[in-house]
Amino acid sequence: MLRAVKPRTAAGKRAMRKREPQLVEGAKPAVFMKGTNTSQLVTAIFRDLYSLKRPDAVLMSKRNEVRPFEDPRSLEFFSQKNDAALFVLANHSKKRPHNLVFARMFDYQLLDMIEIGVERGTPMEMFKGAKPGVGHRPLILFSGDCWDSTDELRTFKSILLDMYRGTNSMDGVDLAGLEHVICMTAIDSTKVYLRTYTIQLKKSGTKLPRVELEEMGPSCEWVVRRHRAADADAWKAATKVPKELKTKTVKNIERNAMGDQVGRIHMEKQDFDKMQTRKMKGLKRGPNEDEDEEDAEDDIPAFAKKARINME
Amino acid sequence: MDVTEQLQALKLKYKSVEVEKLIPVDFDLGNLVAYDTNSVDVEELRKNGDRYLHDIAREGTQLLLNQIFALPTESSPEGVYAKLPAGTTVVPRAKPIPKDKPLTRWEKFAKVKGIQKKKTSRKTYDESVQEYKPKWGYQGANNTADDWIKEVPDRADPMEDQYEKAREEKTARVTKNKTQERRNLQEAAATAAGQNPRDVRKAEVRKKILESKGATASMGRFDKQLKNEDAVKVKRTKRKFESATQDGAAEKEGVMNVVKKVLKGEDGKLINMTTAVKHVHQKGGMKVVDMDEGKKKKQKGRSKK
Repeated sequence: MLRAVKPRTAAGKRAMRKREPQLVEGAKPAVFMKGTNTSQLVTAIFRDLYSLKRPDAVLMSKRNEVRPFEDPRSLEFFSQKNDAALFVLANHSKKRPHNLVFARMFDYQLLDMIEIGVERGTPMEMFKGAKPGVGHRPLILFSGDCWDSTDELRTFKSILLDMYRGTNSMDGVDLAGLEHVICMTAIDSTKVYLRTYTIQLKKSGTKLPRVELEEMGPSCEWVVRRHRAADADAWKAATKVPKELKTKTVKNIERNAMGDQVGRIHMEKQDFDKMQTRKMKGLKRGPNEDEDEEDAEDDIPAFAKKARINME
Repeated sequence: MDVTEQLQALKLKYKSVEVEKLIPVDFDLGNLVAYDTNSVDVEELRKNGDRYLHDIAREGTQLLLNQIFALPTESSPEGVYAKLPAGTTVVPRAKPIPKDKPLTRWEKFAKVKGIQKKKTSRKTYDESVQEYKPKWGYQGANNTADDWIKEVPDRADPMEDQYEKAREEKTARVTKNKTQERRNLQEAAATAAGQNPRDVRKAEVRKKILESKGATASMGRFDKQLKNEDAVKVKRTKRKFESATQDGAAEKEGVMNVVKKVLKGEDGKLINMTTAVKHVHQKGGMKVVDMDEGKKKKQKGRSKK
């Protein structure tokens, strides 16, 4: 583990401050690293995944002996070192050919991870045509009815979404910057198809554009292998919403179908005795009025007192 | 041409933006995600492969973009921006929620009194140099140490060094600030541990008094007393001496024990390795001792002869 050090220079202090937990977090930084052995296929797909994640990604050039399913400590070390929350690890072995491990960290500790194998794949460079610019947010599409059927796919979906969703900035999203879409199609509980396309917006005669897609790569077939689900306590801690960001429910105020604000107001019980009615000479309280009231107290309820006076 | 005919012609001219799905697609517009839970036709996939996947993707993207383009937009010179709602999918955070920083003494006081921070400019106009300068810090306006002349105030000792005085005052201010900073940290640490900072400080002072009392040979008997020092009771164990007239066997045993310990070492070893290694390191590392050095010298001497 790395020591917690006290910064000595102003630049060091700034760097440490940058690493401090934030109330609203930006895109999670990812580290892409290679294991001891990699195949040509897995390297190509791995590099494309990196280029889709840029600029919030670091590509490590050297190989590292990292086996997160056996011992996650080395991942945790790299997480601390690079301030990274996501990992993609490429590997190739006889037992698990063309292997990719997607791991996610919380507070520099391993939260969950999923291992997949690349069965067939075509890297980005094999496709002609335009590629999206760096830093453009992709559209993401999960299709198929299996995504919520197993823990493995649920984790995989969550990690993929976390990796490519970018940040929801305050000024919104540039409509002209929506250049590409990442589609993941699960056909059963183990097999997932990845396709990526660039988007072309055509005239449609209406306000909305007609979408046409052109494949840009990478495209591959994935099989789900090993999986480590998140610890229930860690997951709970990680998904806690800060008090400041919770939306407060406003009681008794609604909007109706017309979009008007409708409120319900609770009032105190009205005291009719103090209610001002029409002022007339005859209604003025006389000196012996109090006695009359005391006599009649039993049969006339309080709210009717004024009315009785009126009747007089 | 009729209006309906015109619309019909337009419809034929362009491809539709409408997509029909058996199960409606879910959207999380904050994250730009669509979840299409319609089942995949495996037969179709086997037959058409990429074409089928392309169609699924196109339809999903069309639906998602229809939703995004329907959002309220804002145009700026850089382009048209759609205001996205907050994301609805639960995604874990990368780091825990930041904790509130403990308030300093001043901040607590200001809160009680309702004192609020006022924004003031960082710089002031310095009349003497006709220039804006930062109020404090590097080349700050309050830095008077570099003034080439200083006024001696009324009724001040004329022999007093005003530069020295200013320096001392500054040192005192810095020291005071440091002390307060340290105190704030200590108090924050105590509060975080669920203790009353006052009690912690009290215990610390008490401990220091006890330590200082034990530091002199007389156990503080003749030391100058602090205010309320009597409140700190010192418990001392009474020293015990053996009687001058004890029997020989007991004395012998005691002495033999000491001798054995010295000869054997504390845990049965002659040398305490930890201490020895430490000792060597402090002396500047190991030296290679040549056991035969003396012999060689002797031989050399002989051969010369």
